[in-house]
Amino acid sequence: MTVNIENAGSKTFVTLTGRIDTTNAAQFQADINPLLNADNPDIEIDCTDMEYTSSQGLRIFLILQKSVTMKGGSLVLKNMKPAVKEVFDITGFSSIIRIV
Amino acid sequence: MEYYGLDIRECAILDSYRENRGVYEKLEKIVKETLQKAISDKGLYVTALESRIKTERSLAGKLSIKGSKYSTILDVTDIVGARVITFYNDEVDMISALVDKLYTIDWKNSVDKRKMHELDSFGYNSLHYICSIPKSLYYDPECPMLNEIRFELQMRTALQHVWANMYHDTGYKSGIEVPAEYLRALNRLAGMLELADEQFSNIRASISDYRHRVEALVRGGRLDDVLLDGDSFRSFLEQKPFDKLNEKIARINQAEIVNVSLVPYLKIFKDFRLRTLGDLSRFIQENRDDAYHLALIQLASTDIDIISSSIGIQNLCIVHILKSGTGVSGLVRMFETLGGVNDYNRARAERIMSTASNLEFLNRK
Repeated sequence: MTVNIENAGSKTFVTLTGRIDTTNAAQFQADINPLLNADNPDIEIDCTDMEYTSSQGLRIFLILQKSVTMKGGSLVLKNMKPAVKEVFDITGFSSIIRIV
Repeated sequence: MEYYGLDIRECAILDSYRENRGVYEKLEKIVKETLQKAISDKGLYVTALESRIKTERSLAGKLSIKGSKYSTILDVTDIVGARVITFYNDEVDMISALVDKLYTIDWKNSVDKRKMHELDSFGYNSLHYICSIPKSLYYDPECPMLNEIRFELQMRTALQHVWANMYHDTGYKSGIEVPAEYLRALNRLAGMLELADEQFSNIRASISDYRHRVEALVRGGRLDDVLLDGDSFRSFLEQKPFDKLNEKIARINQAEIVNVSLVPYLKIFKDFRLRTLGDLSRFIQENRDDAYHLALIQLASTDIDIISSSIGIQNLCIVHILKSGTGVSGLVRMFETLGGVNDYNRARAERIMSTASNLEFLNRK
């Protein structure tokens, strides 16, 4: 799993690659931490190459969503594979996080 | 230094103003901060809280017109002015009660212009208090004058504020006497706005009564007597009608439930033509077992141990659509209503149709 973060103007662009599961959730949390502390609350995550997310991944997305909401920003997950999107759908997380 | 043609006493007052400009600035800041905090602590919401310090030119103008009234700068009570603008009439009274507790009020010079009109006259409506800062609220031993200076606090509704500004702009600021017909038109407007202020307050009170009635009916279980709308749905949600289903679904994988707002589903229920809370209650009873079975199929083979509190209501709606026979198009419509149009909706609907095809309720005769 890799996380690439780029700031461009008023937005932060994140690219996720690979699986988020019990073996690397802590690393994912550490990689995402700078976004929780950043002033810039508008975050767009490209999930084109994200293969899977476990419950731990969902929890981290939830923390990120709460953080941007508190700062008046937005979080958008883009280009999700159908299998990954299904995890968000069957847990009701599609109604918490904006997926386009 | 300019003295605007004032006499010696008026010039001395103007000099005091110049010397104490810093004190006035400090007072303005204290007034704004203490007022803002008191309003916020009380949980009140106002449309604006403004403050200003009278300009030197404006003070000179006042002295040249009414200078004989003033012996010292402390006699001028509106060098620092603040204004609270509220939405509703009764909020003006709430703010005034709060101000009464916060500051020392010079009642002799305070005036309620709302009560000054004759029965058949309309015009400027505002509450003006002349106040000072009590030492118990703020005291700086290096600046005792702060507690001696009086300031003016105006309280009015947004509509009263609009009228006062329009009147100031057209009838007063121009410095030219306005013909009587135009003044009459302005006063006619004042009457209309006074009526509008009263109506807004009445409407708000009626809405508040309606909400209390709905809450009582919901608490009393008289759900068929309550039309489904934003207020009644919120009251219904306070009874946590989806919790049992959510908890049952959560037990599939011993999952944690994350609370989210279910209010967006009101639109879906309107689409389903549910008219009363009674209809909604029956909708839940009729679909809850099938909604659970759908969740069971979706979650049992996974190790996902976190779900949103929207899962129960979401699955209830999905099974209702599947039972109604509108299939993919019905599901797409629901997803679009909740999350907008996007490329995922159709694929998601088709996936659900495929998953649900084995569910008993779809094969029931």
